[in-house]
Amino acid sequence: MRTISIALAVARKDLTSEWRTRELVPALAQFVVLALVIANFGFQIDSHNAVAIAPGVLWMALVFAGLVAFGRAFAAEREQASLEAMLLTAAPPAAIFAGKALAAALLLAICEAVLLPALALFFGVRLSFDVVSAVLLATVGMAVLGCLFAAMVARVRARELLLPVLTLPLWIPFVVVGGQAVQAAMGGSVTGQATGLLLDLDILFVVLTSLAARFVLDD
Amino acid sequence: MTNTRLGQASAAAVSLMLVAAGFIFLYAPTDALQGPVQRIFYLHVSSAIAAYGCFAVVLLGGVVYLWKENIAADRLARAAALVGVAFTSVTLVMGMIWAKPIWGTFWTWDARLTSTLVLWIIYAGYLMVRRLAEPGRQAARFAAVVGIFGFIDVPVVHFSVTWWRTQHPGPVVINDTLPAEMLVAFLITMACTLFLAGVMIAIRYRIEVLMDQAAEKTVPAPIVAPSEARGAR
Amino acid sequence: MSTLVGTALTQRFGSELALDAVDVAIDGGEHLAVLGENGAGKTTLLRILATAARPTSGSLEIFGLDAMVERRRLRARIGFVAHAPGLYPALSAAENLGFFCTLQGVARSRVAEVLDLIGLADAGRRPAAKLSRGAQQRLAIGRAVLHDPRLLVLDEPDASLDSDGADLLARVMRGRTAIIATHDHALANRLCQRTLLLRRGRVVGVPTRLRVVH
Repeated sequence: MRTISIALAVARKDLTSEWRTRELVPALAQFVVLALVIANFGFQIDSHNAVAIAPGVLWMALVFAGLVAFGRAFAAEREQASLEAMLLTAAPPAAIFAGKALAAALLLAICEAVLLPALALFFGVRLSFDVVSAVLLATVGMAVLGCLFAAMVARVRARELLLPVLTLPLWIPFVVVGGQAVQAAMGGSVTGQATGLLLDLDILFVVLTSLAARFVLDD
Repeated sequence: MTNTRLGQASAAAVSLMLVAAGFIFLYAPTDALQGPVQRIFYLHVSSAIAAYGCFAVVLLGGVVYLWKENIAADRLARAAALVGVAFTSVTLVMGMIWAKPIWGTFWTWDARLTSTLVLWIIYAGYLMVRRLAEPGRQAARFAAVVGIFGFIDVPVVHFSVTWWRTQHPGPVVINDTLPAEMLVAFLITMACTLFLAGVMIAIRYRIEVLMDQAAEKTVPAPIVAPSEARGAR
Repeated sequence: MSTLVGTALTQRFGSELALDAVDVAIDGGEHLAVLGENGAGKTTLLRILATAARPTSGSLEIFGLDAMVERRRLRARIGFVAHAPGLYPALSAAENLGFFCTLQGVARSRVAEVLDLIGLADAGRRPAAKLSRGAQQRLAIGRAVLHDPRLLVLDEPDASLDSDGADLLARVMRGRTAIIATHDHALANRLCQRTLLLRRGRVVGVPTRLRVVH
């Protein structure tokens, strides 16, 4: 009970700060739209190949936006030296971690609310319930893993370098399975198996990261 | 282990690898389809298995360290990670050399190749965390977490792509499709390679012990001001 | 019985020895000033005593508990003011305190009490970023006593406080065991019964007992 109320308080604190400063979300939204523009030039997109390339572009944009969002979640705390103040309280580290991950996942979901319609508009893909659910399910797992390693690199040297090196390989399962789900959904076939697997991965990594949070956040 | 014992073990490992080479080049028959290049198989698969073994040691060392705060477990994990990355590199390079004449390309984005490359990247990241985190408790804890997640990720990567067709052949040893002489040569090479990996981990473990000791023997800060110290000398 | 006993506390950062076998003991209700130049190891020592850092070696017992093991239990009973205020700039002073009420598990009614105590009752709704450096420091001090800790660890809290800052420090230290790092010998003299002088990570001389002014 106390764990949940602490996690919610941490998430609310992060979202309130973001709402008042509007530091991260506008920049991220602009970033994902730019990613689509760059992909257009990089892949020489026309009406024939757009649907085939769209899932790849979606995941590329999402992965890199995620790296920025999760890195920022802990970098701001570190700059303000407030992470230590939070950890030097009676609050369990796993609850603090859960709150940070929840807020970061919601911020990334807001970016997805820009990315997915933009993808539909520019690449002419159909946005079905299956596409949206696959992306949201992947966001959960990516958020917990991303936040775990963001918390870690916030406390080491050369953190800008280390976050992608540690996080990207562990996100590959979500990109692989999520990519299959989106490709299938855009092609109009069934995605049940991939969605189920994404859910399994989410459960696995939510449990593991909450167990590991103590070792990463506490000294 | 003492340095003498390590020296003897290294000599034994080198001799055993020469024995394995004898079996690979003199005893095993030449493959009817692929010709001599197929002989890469023995060391390629053996070093892949040795790498998996090393990473399993990293996982166990990490779990034990987080659980018991046992520094020996952490040192063992450190040693095994480095050796594991070395064996993964050997696997990848030998695989590429083999792939060029047979598949006509050094690399293909096949599930097995990709997951092995990911494995290499994960443990290279492990070694980076060790260097960049504050030495001691923090480096050990962070690395243990990376080692645990890295190992879990391997089967996840591996199985999530088994729906895809792969160019890389499946297991030939377990499926009993390997001729008897090839099987003997393979099993001997594998045993020798695993012994070599064990010796390499032992040597690296010794180096880690010495490095830890060197870090502890730092000179205390002088109580006198630097100018006074210069005058005294 | 001593509230806090640290024995042979040693801290290494790579090859640099920041703290060299420092012994420290404080009785209940006692106020100890840690003096020394910049880089003498004051911050390092205070961070260890506040359980914010772990010493390379040495032992520390606070309230009869092993501080290397019972960290979370102890943190509920220690208040720490670090070098940086560590506030959330976009949140108001009251929201900053309210958030830490949830983390510490104390009632929200403490927010108004503490704002009153630190003299920011009128500034409760202003964002922390808009507060003066001194007011931010007051807020950090307020956050450290939110959960009514029995031990207070203050790392140069006077650095950015205004002229009546000493009164505030005296107010929050009253009735608590306190350790305060400072450059200001007059302040140490006024607030503390004892001093500990650090030089290059070592205790210099015997801990002095100051004249009792109270």
